[in-house]
Amino acid sequence: MSSDVVVELDGVRKCFGPRVIFDDVSLSVHRSEVVAVIGPSGAGKSTLIRCINQLNTFEKGVIRVLGHEVYGTEEGRPPLRRDDLRRLRTEIGMVFQTFNLFPHLSVMKNVMLAPQRVKGRSEAEAAAQAQELLEMIGLSHRKDAYPRQLSGGEQQRVAICRALAMEPEVMLFDEPTSMLDPELVGEVLAAIRRLAVDGMTMILVTHEMMFAKEIADTVVVVADGGIAEMGPAKEVLSTPKTERARSFLERVLLHTGGDTGPQAAASEGGFDAASGGFDDPTLSWSREVDEKGLR
Amino acid sequence: MSAITLYTGAMLQGAVITLELTAGATVVSLIAGAAGAVGRLYGPRTLKAFIFGYVETIRGLPAILQLFILYFGLTQFGIDVPAYWAAFIWLCLYGTGYAIEIFRAGLQGIPEGQHEATAALGLTRFEAMRRVIIPQAWVAMLPALTNFVVLELKNTTLVYFIGVQDIMFHARLGVSNSGQPLAIYGIAALIYIVLNGTISRVGGILEKRAAIAS
Ligand SMILES: Nc1ncnc2c1ncn2[C@@H]1O[C@H](COP(=O)(O)OP(=O)(O)OP(=O)(O)O)[C@@H](O)[C@H]1O
Ligand SMILES: [Mg+2]
Repeated sequence: MSSDVVVELDGVRKCFGPRVIFDDVSLSVHRSEVVAVIGPSGAGKSTLIRCINQLNTFEKGVIRVLGHEVYGTEEGRPPLRRDDLRRLRTEIGMVFQTFNLFPHLSVMKNVMLAPQRVKGRSEAEAAAQAQELLEMIGLSHRKDAYPRQLSGGEQQRVAICRALAMEPEVMLFDEPTSMLDPELVGEVLAAIRRLAVDGMTMILVTHEMMFAKEIADTVVVVADGGIAEMGPAKEVLSTPKTERARSFLERVLLHTGGDTGPQAAASEGGFDAASGGFDDPTLSWSREVDEKGLR
Repeated sequence: MSAITLYTGAMLQGAVITLELTAGATVVSLIAGAAGAVGRLYGPRTLKAFIFGYVETIRGLPAILQLFILYFGLTQFGIDVPAYWAAFIWLCLYGTGYAIEIFRAGLQGIPEGQHEATAALGLTRFEAMRRVIIPQAWVAMLPALTNFVVLELKNTTLVYFIGVQDIMFHARLGVSNSGQPLAIYGIAALIYIVLNGTISRVGGILEKRAAIAS
């Protein structure tokens, strides 16, 4: 394990009862790498990233996050002690599909809670940090609002701040934009893009293929009980090597692609970046929305 | 006329006992109920089973039977609990059984995502409960808790059966001595209405405050 590996999965198997969701999943995520996890619904993408911070346990294999090692329940090793588990989780930020902000706390308090209660920061320190994060994400004017007073996009950006306030080494995103109205997607993607630029290590489950192609270094296609294909983002998304990845990407493009995209790609029997499988007009459209989102 | 004045005074003294018992038992029941609900939901298996059994027993047995078992039953073992304390202990045990159920429902009503968010941030279970889960459950539970206190106060009337001198005790005494049931029970009813009305009022204010704060 080279020193700049932040997250490493080695032969991980996950079952729900008798059902194997995936097996023998191995994956290394290096510092500042952005990994996009894509794949059909129900393939186990969420479960995969939830195993990393132990919101789900897993049966076989080992997951390493920085210094922490977690073994599958069948490996016969003692489970992580409760305090070690908490320490592991403080290194990992998580952003949920459904935001999961604390509804009884203001935006500021949502961001301040964990630094105060987990890291023992003073109220003033935590407030200063929250203020800074909210400013970065363009929400400092909403700091006294309650979550229900915010749009979905704003809520998700607060959720990102809340995770960042713990200064995690790696961020996990589970379809952060799939609950949002289309016009709100851009502002959240812009926030994530900014983290990528700042060198944050990230694992992102997403259906936004354009976005994955733009910011991800690596794309992992999860399907049929394991990783169907994994490699540099542009390669996997433009010229998938496996049949499984190809058929998945074709289906996604039929739903989200532009006028020429799917047909052109289908007629050529593959995905070529140049042939417009992922046309840049869509990309620039999303950029435009992003800029509005971030003023 | 003077009999009524006399027994009204006695009933008001009884009201002090009624209020003492209600307030004391409510405080104990709410604390024990919250702890019991947490144990019932998140504790080890044996604790869960024990609390389940406890709640079912309290809910399943008639209130008066519980009180009699506690008061008269224990004397068989040579344990002689004064009536006032037997009444208090019973009200606590009884209230705790129902409070556990109220807290359990309240805690279970909090979406799983809230628990996951606290876990992902590295909060301890205790901090998560204290800062995130219970404050939210509290708001949802307030109506049920107000109702709980009102029921607890009405339950205190049963302690008259073991000779504790609450409102009901003095009302019965007054009726048999004065022969004016309508007037004396009417005054007793008025006292209960004022007491429970106050509890409801306080509950309503708390609910409004909680609604504004969240
Ligand atoms: N707690 C659970 N108990 C049992 N089965 C579960 C549980 N959570 C998920 N599953 C099952 O595991 C499989 C993988 O679920 P998962 O949510 O990881 O899929 P996904 O790839 O994230 O899908 P989507 O794109 O719809 O979010 C699904 O078939 C799901 O029904
Ligand atoms: Mg999912």
